[in-house]
Amino acid sequence: MTTKFLKKENLGKLIDTLIGEGSIFVAPRMGARQVVYAPVSKFEEIVFDYIIPINSFKEFLFPQTETVAAFSIHKEGVDLRGVEIEPKETVIFGSRPCDAASVASLRAVFNWDFKDEFYNRREDKAVVMTVACTKADDSCFCTTVNLTPDSQKGSDILLQETSGGDYAVEAITEKGKGFMDRFNNFFEPLPTAYSPLPTVDIKPIAGVDVQKVKEWLKDTKHYENPLWQELARKCIGCGACTFACPTCHCFDIVDEGSAFEGERIKNWDACQFEFFTLHTSGHNPRDTQYKRWRNRFMCKFNFYPNKFSSRGCVGCGRCIRVCPVRLDITEVMEEISSLR
Amino acid sequence: MDNIYLPYLATIEDIYEEAPDVRTCRLVFKDPKVRDTFDFKTGQFALYSAFGLGESTFCIASSPTHKGYIQCTFRKSGRVTGGLSDLGIGDTMGFRGPYGNWFPIDKWKGKNILFIAGGIGFPPVRSVIWNCLDRRKDFGDITIVYGAKSVADLVYKNELAQWSRMSDVKLVQAVDPGGETPDWKGKIGFVPTVLEQAAPSPNNAIAVTCGPPIMIKFVLQALNKLGFSDEQVYTTLENKMKCGVGKCGRCNVGDIYICKEGPVYTAAEVKRMYNDF
Repeated sequence: MTTKFLKKENLGKLIDTLIGEGSIFVAPRMGARQVVYAPVSKFEEIVFDYIIPINSFKEFLFPQTETVAAFSIHKEGVDLRGVEIEPKETVIFGSRPCDAASVASLRAVFNWDFKDEFYNRREDKAVVMTVACTKADDSCFCTTVNLTPDSQKGSDILLQETSGGDYAVEAITEKGKGFMDRFNNFFEPLPTAYSPLPTVDIKPIAGVDVQKVKEWLKDTKHYENPLWQELARKCIGCGACTFACPTCHCFDIVDEGSAFEGERIKNWDACQFEFFTLHTSGHNPRDTQYKRWRNRFMCKFNFYPNKFSSRGCVGCGRCIRVCPVRLDITEVMEEISSLR
Repeated sequence: MDNIYLPYLATIEDIYEEAPDVRTCRLVFKDPKVRDTFDFKTGQFALYSAFGLGESTFCIASSPTHKGYIQCTFRKSGRVTGGLSDLGIGDTMGFRGPYGNWFPIDKWKGKNILFIAGGIGFPPVRSVIWNCLDRRKDFGDITIVYGAKSVADLVYKNELAQWSRMSDVKLVQAVDPGGETPDWKGKIGFVPTVLEQAAPSPNNAIAVTCGPPIMIKFVLQALNKLGFSDEQVYTTLENKMKCGVGKCGRCNVGDIYICKEGPVYTAAEVKRMYNDF
């Protein structure tokens, strides 16, 4: 598709226009002294010098907490109302290619057979404007899971920074093209001379073979391998990896309110918690931490690819950065890759 | 907006106390359109809500051949089942379903059917029993082996009495040693042992079993000893569920989502799963 040019000052105008129209503009900004994806109200709030925000942007498609129904209980019965959502257009600027690639994974889970319209309506209204990575840190491993720092997957629009701080902009999807056409006064023709910043070179981790990991996991015999207990021994079950992960999608459904009225709410949950799978009888199929950690790893490299034909891991590295005990998922991938 | 998390509302029309803390509720949908069109297949499950407390998952205990209502049987054991137990006749329950797969009873035409259940694992089996009894001519011998901890813990006592009087049903009732009363006429022993003693023939037979995990384990061994192949044996699995529609991520056994590909499996399918029970 066509490539255009977005000057930094026009980005400011684009934000003002979008917010004026009632849209939400999400971009990397400071939050609690860290770079986070969060709504901004003006250009000046955006952080341009960042590697990757601490959170993924899944919360704008699949909120941490979302009311799905409301009810009131009275003598004659129960009044029940399903919640209707009409999300505003949400532009996610400064997404990284790994995060953009995770959208297809969430879409797959929320749409195999039963369709979760809470997710779908939000995703329909989201425009993902990804900026290719010019920097990475030690935790980044997108190339190990067959993505690249300038991958187009999942982005509506892909931007490449130039030395002057402007962007070369490419529409990837029809939605992205429509967005750029709508604001064609801001997206200018590409100048004859501009100097794009080079995309960062991330070397795939030499010892990791994702295909091999997938094949090894497929063998149900390996489920009992003592390796799992060894590898996951230090996991304390805090669940931080799951909340930071762009593809983790597990949730709980709870009722909140008084004895007379309340709401039914979908909340993020984590497979790392003991209560997650605990039966009322007291039986718990995943009663120890290594079993819960094994489930998460299996979900990423077996269930997602085999069941949903999508990636469970995009190599964003957040689970490594946030882990309080430095349990590094790539070390486990490497260990399994080395098995004969 | 299509809302997959929105339950139907149902009125509790009748409550039957089956055993200590175990009750059966007869539910009728409030919306006449739902009442007229609702259908399910035997073995499917649903999420039942006590509004303000949440949802709990159990099978539909009635048979789809009994139209106009559904029944659920549950034990009061947690927050939601506690709330559901506080409801009375005329009160409102939420119902989300039917979900999951079912027992393929159409494929069992002409076969002898053996039902083996333990304790509170009886409700899903009971749904299949009534479904088969309502099409009695389609099947050969029907044998029911049911056991519970004690005489008081037996559920569906009225139906057990009814089935015991049927000439074309063989019913074997049992209670665990120590659970008998002085006038107990059934067997005393654990379900797998009682099953072995009853020695049903595996020829042209299908076995359907549900009960506590430990019982299922030994029932499968007993059935193998009797000559049943794993393809002849069906069971229904249960795991904690929140959504029931393959999204919330907690009922999976390895890559198998109980809520979507289950809850009904053959013993052969169960043996192929990851050991994640």
